Amino acid sequence: MGLLWSLRPVPGSKPWLRMRKMNVQTPMEVTISVYPGYQTEGFLDQVPLAGVVVERWYMAPGVRRIPVTEAGLTATLFLPPGPGPFPGLLDLWGGGGKLVEYRSALLASHGFASLALDYLTAKVTIETGKMVDNQYFERAYKVLEQHPQILSSRIAIIGLSLGTSITLKMAVYSQVAKLRCVVCISGSHVQPVDGSVEQIMSFFNKNAEKTRFNNENHMICRDLLLPIPTDPSLKVDVGQLQCPLLLVVGEDDQNWPTHESAMDIKEMMERAGNSHLLTLLSYPDTGHLIEPPFTPFAKASSFRAVSSRQKLVALWGGETAAHSRAQEDAWRKTLVFLRANLYGGVNTGIASFSNL
Amino acid sequence: MGPKIPGGAPEPSTLDGNCNNAVLLNHGGVRWKNSFRQSPVLTAAPVRALIDEQISIKGSFLPPECPVTVCAQMHSDDGDLWEAFAHYNTNADGTVNLTKDHSVGGSYLGCEPMGLFWGLQPAPCAREGLRLRKKNVETPYVMLLSLLEGHVSPSERQSTELAAVITERWYMAPGVRRTEIRQDGVVGTLFLPPGPGPFPAMLDLWGMGGGLVEYRSALLASRGYASLSLAYIGHKDLPGSLTHINVGDSYFESAFHLLQDHRQVCADRVGIIGLSFGVYLTLRIATKTVVKPACLICVNGPVGSTVKFSDPDGRTEQFESDQKYWTYNDQGHVSFKDVSLPANLSAESKVKIEHLTCPLMYIVGEDDLSASSIESANLIEETLKAAGKSQLFTCLSYPGAGHLIEPPYTPNSRASLWSVKPQKLVTLWGGHPAPHAAAQEDAWKKILDFMERNLRRELLIKKNAGLKVPLCSCTI
Repeated sequence: MGLLWSLRPVPGSKPWLRMRKMNVQTPMEVTISVYPGYQTEGFLDQVPLAGVVVERWYMAPGVRRIPVTEAGLTATLFLPPGPGPFPGLLDLWGGGGKLVEYRSALLASHGFASLALDYLTAKVTIETGKMVDNQYFERAYKVLEQHPQILSSRIAIIGLSLGTSITLKMAVYSQVAKLRCVVCISGSHVQPVDGSVEQIMSFFNKNAEKTRFNNENHMICRDLLLPIPTDPSLKVDVGQLQCPLLLVVGEDDQNWPTHESAMDIKEMMERAGNSHLLTLLSYPDTGHLIEPPFTPFAKASSFRAVSSRQKLVALWGGETAAHSRAQEDAWRKTLVFLRANLYGGVNTGIASFSNL
Repeated sequence: MGPKIPGGAPEPSTLDGNCNNAVLLNHGGVRWKNSFRQSPVLTAAPVRALIDEQISIKGSFLPPECPVTVCAQMHSDDGDLWEAFAHYNTNADGTVNLTKDHSVGGSYLGCEPMGLFWGLQPAPCAREGLRLRKKNVETPYVMLLSLLEGHVSPSERQSTELAAVITERWYMAPGVRRTEIRQDGVVGTLFLPPGPGPFPAMLDLWGMGGGLVEYRSALLASRGYASLSLAYIGHKDLPGSLTHINVGDSYFESAFHLLQDHRQVCADRVGIIGLSFGVYLTLRIATKTVVKPACLICVNGPVGSTVKFSDPDGRTEQFESDQKYWTYNDQGHVSFKDVSLPANLSAESKVKIEHLTCPLMYIVGEDDLSASSIESANLIEETLKAAGKSQLFTCLSYPGAGHLIEPPYTPNSRASLWSVKPQKLVTLWGGHPAPHAAAQEDAWKKILDFMERNLRRELLIKKNAGLKVPLCSCTI
């Protein structure tokens, strides 16, 4: 699959692009061609020996895409085909905001009803200028819980980056959300305990002077949360977690101190006696953006956090091949974890995955 | 967006507090919505595929050693509902795997990974005499595959459905280009594979049913061959009446040249594939006209014309005008088989097989009730042997297969509606489901293999025969 994950913008393109499929109802069309000899450039100026066109889809046939605006939410629900009922997932992305649908579309294609939620650039925030409160996420949870085609006892959250902060918060502190398991990718538990989105973001901004820039002027944010605090009011008390947690981190994450956070989470859970709930996937030479596999890798890309007006280039980290292999492995294990916890077993979810 | 799902999903609503885990379905049945119960899953891989590709269908998270039904439903381009189903018992691990497990009842028995596709039949409510043929090749067949509780029939799907998945079956791969051809008097549709070419090519001929049949050409293009579906009878853009063949040898020569001269076609790697009456045309073009195809594939067709000529150039009378060799079964269905018996063909219409100069593959369905294929194959074989050309001949013969040997994993019709005027006539094609399906699968593989050997690789036979082999860089 190297041809797919090593795709790069052609010379002359705008710099620091990142490929993200925003319209999930159409496929990515990839033209694969064969040229004679060993060549490294000039492909567009030549006629290939032969070619083929491949379609890459995020959405399987029959998956239903349903925009959700009730309860003041900005979200899209993806339902698998069939009668259901299905296990449900709340799908949270990171600091870039927007309504990112592709992971939810893909999860629905694998049999999980999935709600992609915009919580930073939601309609209510655009219109009122105010960030959403904790109840916003609980309302999103309720949409899943009350849906006739979703199993209320089999709901999970998957979060990446800032989405992880929200996920851990809800898993430990929410009285409303009864989660069967959670998946936290490239995130940290460091945050003012049970703070709102606004409070969490201000906490990060307080340490903004710790932002570094490398030789290419790419922004490295990982130091904003370092050192991992010992003050318990600044970390989600993962010792109180009662459901299985799949933690996925890249050891070369330059954007967020995910590896250090993972070590601390592990230690906290071992001390509390609930570490049997933790499955940690830690990948060397892997960066921050651990996404579904076989899509182009970006070590750095243009990024504008919702809290700032500045457009910068963020360094995500990772090396192409290692990161791409990590994505493939992590996705496969994520699906196994979700299937085992959300489809399998009648009793409590399966705790650890020593066989993963 | 969204495919048309037959029946639609049930609309549940909850009952009173005493049984708040029950779901009342809109037709009155009750299904227990136990939120602690496992939720079964049905998967199909790949969910989008070409019509000749195998799919792996699996059910998981089911109770062990329990009866389940897997059911397939789809609508034809005309809106008719077709369905198939099979009864399985789940394994000890709560799975059912159609690539390994055995059906104990339904549309097929035994281990048949693609049985739900070739076993499709018109639903009980459908019109009679149907045959499944894709008219619009630019859209897929959208098939709903469902996993049902117990050993049931598709009519009980709504009350027993556990899980479902939707698959798309395509005749056209991404990047294949479809072009309507109305040029030099030729009426056809050209399909080009993706990529720069040049490509080897096939002229694609069907039978007396007429019209313009595109799906085999689309599939050949999806497999890397430029392909021209050609109409010669029963098409509004052809001259004269719809019920006669009003075109002659020059028409087929034009079509062949059109293909050969296309800048993305290798001129010396153009073959012909014909089914039914298309076989006669294929053999006639190869032996009587000026064109020189590189190879021929003939499926269940006659060695001479089954319609009288009104014109030495090949223009014919109406097919229905001479019915003396038509036979009928108890239900009044007509078999055209004896019409093409070599002994019943007029001597002057019989093709001079001995003039063949290229490889020929002839495919026989031994239960062909529409053409005398066995006798035709035998005659071709004997004629070529007598002419010292046996090395050109390959014959595939399939017991239990009927007349309509088409691309695989599509259902066979043993009989279907032939005409409605002057009276309604159902014609017999023959073929029994399982052996016909096996024949289609095997024949298609061998057809593609034959084409690869004769249209892609070195033109060995021509070299051995001492004929000049023109250079053509036709790669991959």
